[in-house]
Amino acid sequence: MNYDRPELLDRLAAEYVFGSMTPLARRRFHRLRRQLPAAEAAARDWERRLMPLSTVVPAEPPPSRLWDAIDQRTGGARTKSPSRGWRAWLQPALGLAFGVLATIGFVQLYPEALVPIDSIVQSRGTLPQSYVGLLTDAQNNPVLLLSSTRHGRTLAIKRLRPLDVPAGRIAVLWALPRDGRPFVVGALPSGEHATMPLADESEKLFFTVPRLAVSFESVQPGPDGAPGDFVLSGHCVKLW
Amino acid sequence: MADAAVLQGLLSRVALGDRAAFRTLYDATAASLFGVAIRIVNRRDRAEDVLQDAFVNVWHRAGTYSAAASQPMTWLTAIVRNRALDVLRADTLRVTESLNDEETGETDEPSDDRPDPLGLFEQAADALSIRDCLDQIRGPQRQCLALAYYHGLSHSEVAAQIASPIGSVKVWIRRGLDRLKRCLDRLQ
Repeated sequence: MNYDRPELLDRLAAEYVFGSMTPLARRRFHRLRRQLPAAEAAARDWERRLMPLSTVVPAEPPPSRLWDAIDQRTGGARTKSPSRGWRAWLQPALGLAFGVLATIGFVQLYPEALVPIDSIVQSRGTLPQSYVGLLTDAQNNPVLLLSSTRHGRTLAIKRLRPLDVPAGRIAVLWALPRDGRPFVVGALPSGEHATMPLADESEKLFFTVPRLAVSFESVQPGPDGAPGDFVLSGHCVKLW
Repeated sequence: MADAAVLQGLLSRVALGDRAAFRTLYDATAASLFGVAIRIVNRRDRAEDVLQDAFVNVWHRAGTYSAAASQPMTWLTAIVRNRALDVLRADTLRVTESLNDEETGETDEPSDDRPDPLGLFEQAADALSIRDCLDQIRGPQRQCLALAYYHGLSHSEVAAQIASPIGSVKVWIRRGLDRLKRCLDRLQ
């Protein structure tokens, strides 16, 4: 398709925003919105244009449990539990710093979890320059330790706790960049120790990514898919 | 509905991680957005999932919102509609797969108690004072547009619903959108 034609982009954007596209066409257009500013602009124009049609849809108050679920998924409920002693005080206060320290602490405990790029470096006991992520669940239990050397193209995965993936679902790893939408890193392989190929060098993928997360999906999302619930999340830390 | 400037302020606070602002934004907009979700997915439990996913998305992406690019409710509504349409399409694929597997037993398709989408479309036309303009969209085109927009039906689903060839539906929707664009652009 020749996306240089404005009238084609306009038509695609209209059908996408209107809702009449098939799932495959929707995914293609999601991808196009990311890649082509003209497609994004066309979609925004149609969203603006069609917004008045939604104003006549009757409002419906959602149940109160809905906010509780949103609050918990966005990290709010964690800060409210009084019985966790020092953690309840520390987490809201130190947040990011704690996450980084925890990540570094775990790496020192489990250096063998990192991808061994160089046996000489390994024998010296020094860690290669690496991106490292420690992902925790909603109860703050560390579940996954992820690492990749700075210019490597392989992600090492160590499971610190079992991850119960529901039947018919796969665990998908997402990168949450500082600016822009979450993007898929890949489907997590099973096993206590595993590796996963990366689409590009770690440096190129993770340089502007402060956080990583995992969701359960029915199929691996396309390049511009949107994540479902995040069941695990954590900081992406540069270790050098 | 909350004033656009207020919502813009709340979104900019949410982008900085302000949870109180996030709660306020939710309180101000959830009812409108839940209504939109229910109209598309036709099941309250699904609509709750959609709204939950949408607001989690808002929390993570508030930093990407630009007041210059769109009004706050337009941005929020688009997030909800997109999630609802993705869920609807995934549900359609699951139903298709289960039919292909020749599972016996009842399907769990709910009865459709939603207000007639054509009625909503005409209500919108009146509310926006573009009834004269939209009346020039012929009956079948209007019905296709309403089913697609308010119920999120794809071309093939609209064709099945109104018992018309899919080719005709695609043409009606395309022409209908052209006419709709002209009518709505006159409002801007």
